[in-house]
Amino acid sequence: MEVGQMQRRLAEYTKSLFMEGILDAQFLQLQQLQDESNPDFVVEVVTLFFDDSEKLLNDIARALDQQCVDFKKIDAHVHQLKGSSSSVGAQRVKNACVAFRNFCEEQNAEGSLRCLQQVKQEYNLVKNKLETLFRLEQQIVAAGGSVPMIESSF
Amino acid sequence: MAAMQRVAHSNVTTSGASGFASSCKSGGASASSAEVGVHDQFPAGLRVLVVDDDFTCLKILEQMLNRCRYYVTTCSEATVALNLLREKKGCFDVVLSDVHMPDMDGFKLLELVGLEMDLPVIMMSADGRTSAVMRGIRHGACDYLIKPIREEELKNIWQHVVRKKWNENKEHEHSGSLEENDRHKRGNDDTEYVSSGNEGSEGILKAQKKRSNAKDEDEVGLESDDPSASKKPRVVWSVELHQQFVSAVNQLGLDKAVPKRILELMNVPGLTRENVASHLQKFRLYLKRLSGVAQQQSGVSNTICGPVDPNVKLGSLGRFDIPALAAGQIPPQTLAALHAELLGRPAGNLVGAMEQPALLQASLQGPKRMPVEHGVAFGQPLVNCQSNVSKHFQQSIIPPVEDVSSGLGAWPSNNLGPVAPNNNLGAMSAQNSNMLMDILQQQQRQQQQESQQQSLLSEPSRSINVQPSCLVAPSQPSANFQAGNSPASVSQNCSFNRSSVVDYSLLSPQSNNSPLNIGQFSNGALKSTGVLSGYSASGSISPSVSSCPVTVDNVGLQGQTTITFNAARQLPGTVPSMHDIQASYVAKRGEVLDQGPLRNLGFVSKGTCIPSRFAVDDFESQMNNLSHGKLYVENNRVKQEPSVEYMDNSRAGVSILQQFSSNDGTSVFTE
Repeated sequence: MEVGQMQRRLAEYTKSLFMEGILDAQFLQLQQLQDESNPDFVVEVVTLFFDDSEKLLNDIARALDQQCVDFKKIDAHVHQLKGSSSSVGAQRVKNACVAFRNFCEEQNAEGSLRCLQQVKQEYNLVKNKLETLFRLEQQIVAAGGSVPMIESSF
Repeated sequence: MAAMQRVAHSNVTTSGASGFASSCKSGGASASSAEVGVHDQFPAGLRVLVVDDDFTCLKILEQMLNRCRYYVTTCSEATVALNLLREKKGCFDVVLSDVHMPDMDGFKLLELVGLEMDLPVIMMSADGRTSAVMRGIRHGACDYLIKPIREEELKNIWQHVVRKKWNENKEHEHSGSLEENDRHKRGNDDTEYVSSGNEGSEGILKAQKKRSNAKDEDEVGLESDDPSASKKPRVVWSVELHQQFVSAVNQLGLDKAVPKRILELMNVPGLTRENVASHLQKFRLYLKRLSGVAQQQSGVSNTICGPVDPNVKLGSLGRFDIPALAAGQIPPQTLAALHAELLGRPAGNLVGAMEQPALLQASLQGPKRMPVEHGVAFGQPLVNCQSNVSKHFQQSIIPPVEDVSSGLGAWPSNNLGPVAPNNNLGAMSAQNSNMLMDILQQQQRQQQQESQQQSLLSEPSRSINVQPSCLVAPSQPSANFQAGNSPASVSQNCSFNRSSVVDYSLLSPQSNNSPLNIGQFSNGALKSTGVLSGYSASGSISPSVSSCPVTVDNVGLQGQTTITFNAARQLPGTVPSMHDIQASYVAKRGEVLDQGPLRNLGFVSKGTCIPSRFAVDDFESQMNNLSHGKLYVENNRVKQEPSVEYMDNSRAGVSILQQFSSNDGTSVFTE
């Protein structure tokens, strides 16, 4: 595949992520923060986000599995996940967290479990998509091309 | 969490975009930050400490701040951050802290930072609920950013550093020539620390002295700063320890809280009286600062609410002709000067404005009656007042109230009144904080009420003079002007007094509101804001007050239905001046105090709103009757033209005053 084609594909793909609401404008902020002094900034941040999220999701699952569910604790975890997901622009994860917190407030174990599944699903989705995105970028770079700057027009 | 702790120390990283970030030397900080704003490349090199348990956010923030060319230190744990701040005093200009952190609540960190070092702290959270933001403000945060945070929001954070510096400088100037400086400063910024201005130069000087003392103490024993230090000479005030301390202080009352008693109550082995004394000192300073913040906030809201600038208003006030202060007791200049001193407002205007005309008729009456019974009559006067008040309320007040409530919406009634009482003593801050308080109140009425009780108990000493205050229901004017105001005034009284509660019942139809007000007040007392307001107020008051059994302050607020907020806001501004005057008056003349300064302060937020509604009323303060001589009622005759702006009002002079008075209930404070 030639570089130009790959670049177009990347642009299309990125656009689809925004169109589907998987990412939002905050992700563009991240990309704009990446510069010569920090060329891998986006990948680093997103990797951190993945690590954090997985840990949080495990913590939440464990907490929900207890006899006596500590909703306050769960809520704190979900809140943090909301904060980090919104900071990287993982919009659908963030939205799922918002719904999750409502159930926490109600101390609704069943609803919380459902929300956990939902959050996990959204998380996996954005993770796959972002990994694909990064792979595409790497391919372009490997082929000697440059990663096109994403326009914020969509 | 365990994982977090493991990494604790490796978590602190520092990066700086520009070369000139100064190295950390203790003591160097103040110098370098004092020059903030002067440096060519400012704000590049601003030293920012970021605290967030979320590594993702931390990384993003670090990069954003680097791009702003700030010198960034990141830290994933609040406790580590706190130690860092303690160890490297003066190495940071501003702190950016997450709210929710596992090891320590961000608000706690904020509080401790506020307590131990005078750094601007910006809170951030994904939680953007008003209650959360309000909590941050109440704890003294200079800003609250909602995640996700954008780079543009961070570009501006240097302003908090500069503002803080400026305000500190302003304090210094205050102690010099108050009037001139105020005039200049006022125009530029009404921000934090105004409250200290209210206290008069004496208070400021003291505060500064205290602060420097506190710093000295901090410098000493830096080496031994260690979390496990209970056995070491230097005590580290952990969150738990601090909480014990605060509850002890609350239990005792801020005024009565002396190190020895606190120490007894805390009952912590290894803690010495000196430790407690030092911490108490800082705590008081912290409260003071908080009040400054509250003020600032209020100022902000003001501008938002109303086009009219508070400062401007004052100026206009100066123009008002106030029908004679009968007393003549206070020469206009004196008043003005005092006012300026206390409020930090331009004195010149006021002086000009007050042509002998007495602001308050009350004053006239006051002199005669005041001398009468200080302590003795208190109980009775109150009773009388109540009865009178109640009448008024029923007749005039009620109708207006209804209007107000409908118009105002959520915050309405509370805003106006509550602060004023506090203010008597010159606590502008208190007034300002009202808004905040109100809001808070709504959220936490219960809490406040509880706290109130405590505060009442504890505060007596502080508010000595003030405490048992009777509320006088707003006189007729209130009816006309604002329903909202009258409640407010009542509330104020209530807060101080135990009796106030009674008053409410008697007085107000508005009782519904009153509870809220009370709650607010109490909050203030207990909580940071509340405390501050109370604190500052007392500070200014106490000197003068001690001698005087009774001080009466009436603050009248005029709320326009729509503008309630504005009114409230403005009112504080105007009111303070009035208060100040009285306060100052008292302070300077001990004798006078005995007589009992009485004041009704009427505030007209905007003439426009009010006037339209009220045609002309001559209000006689019935209040006078109520209080035996002790109460001064200001009768303001208000002649208002509807749409007049503030300025216009000022010319109207009398009319303006009336508004004030009318709004106010007369409050009587008895010992």
